[in-house]
Amino acid sequence: MIMNELKFLLAVWKANLQSVMEYRIAFLLQVFGMMINNAIYFLIWVIYFDRFKEVRGWGINDMFITYGIIASGFGLVSLLFGNVFNLGEVIAKGRLDYYLSMPRPVLLHTVASRSIASGLGDFTYGFVSYALSGQYTWGGLGRFLVGTLCAAAVFAAFMILVQSLAFWIGNTSYLSSMALNAIITFAIYPITLFDNTAKLILFTLIPAALMGALPAQFVHTFTWGTLTAIFLGSLVFLGLAVAVFRLGLRRYESGSGIQVEV
Amino acid sequence: MSAVRKYWAIFQTTLINSLAYPGELIGRSLMILPFMWIFYQLWQVTFTATGSDTINGLTLHDTMWYLMMAETIELSRPRVARTIAENVKDGSIAYLLNKPYDFMLYQFSVSMGETIFRALMTAVFGGAMVWWLAGPPPDLRSWPFALIALLGAWVLSFLVNGMIGLAAFVSEEVAPFEWIYQKLAFIFGGLLIPLDFYPQWLQAIAFALPFPAMTYGPSRLFVSPDAGLFASVLGQQAIWILVLGIFLTLAYRRGLAYLTVNGG
Repeated sequence: MIMNELKFLLAVWKANLQSVMEYRIAFLLQVFGMMINNAIYFLIWVIYFDRFKEVRGWGINDMFITYGIIASGFGLVSLLFGNVFNLGEVIAKGRLDYYLSMPRPVLLHTVASRSIASGLGDFTYGFVSYALSGQYTWGGLGRFLVGTLCAAAVFAAFMILVQSLAFWIGNTSYLSSMALNAIITFAIYPITLFDNTAKLILFTLIPAALMGALPAQFVHTFTWGTLTAIFLGSLVFLGLAVAVFRLGLRRYESGSGIQVEV
Repeated sequence: MSAVRKYWAIFQTTLINSLAYPGELIGRSLMILPFMWIFYQLWQVTFTATGSDTINGLTLHDTMWYLMMAETIELSRPRVARTIAENVKDGSIAYLLNKPYDFMLYQFSVSMGETIFRALMTAVFGGAMVWWLAGPPPDLRSWPFALIALLGAWVLSFLVNGMIGLAAFVSEEVAPFEWIYQKLAFIFGGLLIPLDFYPQWLQAIAFALPFPAMTYGPSRLFVSPDAGLFASVLGQQAIWILVLGIFLTLAYRRGLAYLTVNGG
């Protein structure tokens, strides 16, 4: 059962990759353009920490790791599950009909049906950022991979949760943009800035800490407690996302819009 | 005069259209709230850590209102690159070229019409949050300085975005150019950190580029209304509008030479 779904996913990803690579120059422009984009953005933190040194014990090396985890996690989701950014639109416009007519898990099929080429640039840049942190070790690289997977799971789950609101409220485009901006912005800033109330929000309502600071802490130092926290956090959010999507699916009304998806 | 009236009418139409969906307008404008909240957390901690009320002449209050203005400029700036690129890529530019208006001036009028209320609403929400966090806005006397400089910033932003859009004549994909331009504007325009806090050598590089005239100038004028600074910002804007305007015109003419219309 699981093997079948995995084979199906691999086939979808292969088709997606072939599709985004159809225009080679555009593909390369997006990948390398995104890497340059990330590097320039990070200069802000280089300038800040060069002048002010640290934020309550949080330094530039912590930023390199956190930024790396966020970039790779975000990139992985964009590359493999690119439709999480469009799920609300797919629901609101009745385009779930196509996925419902297929003998495959609806949510998985829908979100995996699109790849965003720039995601490869984000994913790769994350590793560059980690390498530049000055804390590179082979063990750390293994933890970076685990942290990236957990960050990607939390991020994808959060986007599915927000976009699934389209089952109840219709158009979610601005809410989704706001949610996306919020989680990325809060994840990128040092967690030491926030008081306990804000931290509670960043672990629950907008799980930015589970996407950035906590996986980064795990990369920095291995503890079973942190590993359990990021693992459980991603499982809980994924479970919640699937449950809310299924709940919403019961309300879904077809627009009789069976169409060919290219 | 009739030419001006024509573009004024396009501007007015878009301006009114932008009010047609108030929910959308408010939704977009609310995006400034998380940014201002997080900026306050960062700069409050930073000012406390330095143990001083001012950093390079700016207080926490000044810094927050500067950032509110800078963020308003960024969130409301004309985003014509993708529109122009789409027009070029899908060939619809061919249908727009035979209309009785100049394509680029049409895009300029439309983008200005879309920008005004977006900026106003963003400033209202952002201003309300900063007022709550850091205190009342700067003296009313600074507002006209900033508003005039804001117009120049929008024109400059349109010129750069227009050139990025026209890159679609020669490149399959223009989005990466837009991302990189945006991040350069963040760094050299002083969007997230006021340029005053930069090391001298980096300030010198920034001021040799057009970005400070787009973001730093209007934002700094908002918190420090000064006739000398005002003249300097307007002077920089005038020079860059001239230079980039010439580049845009040349790029547009060259782009049209590439254009091949097959049927339709």
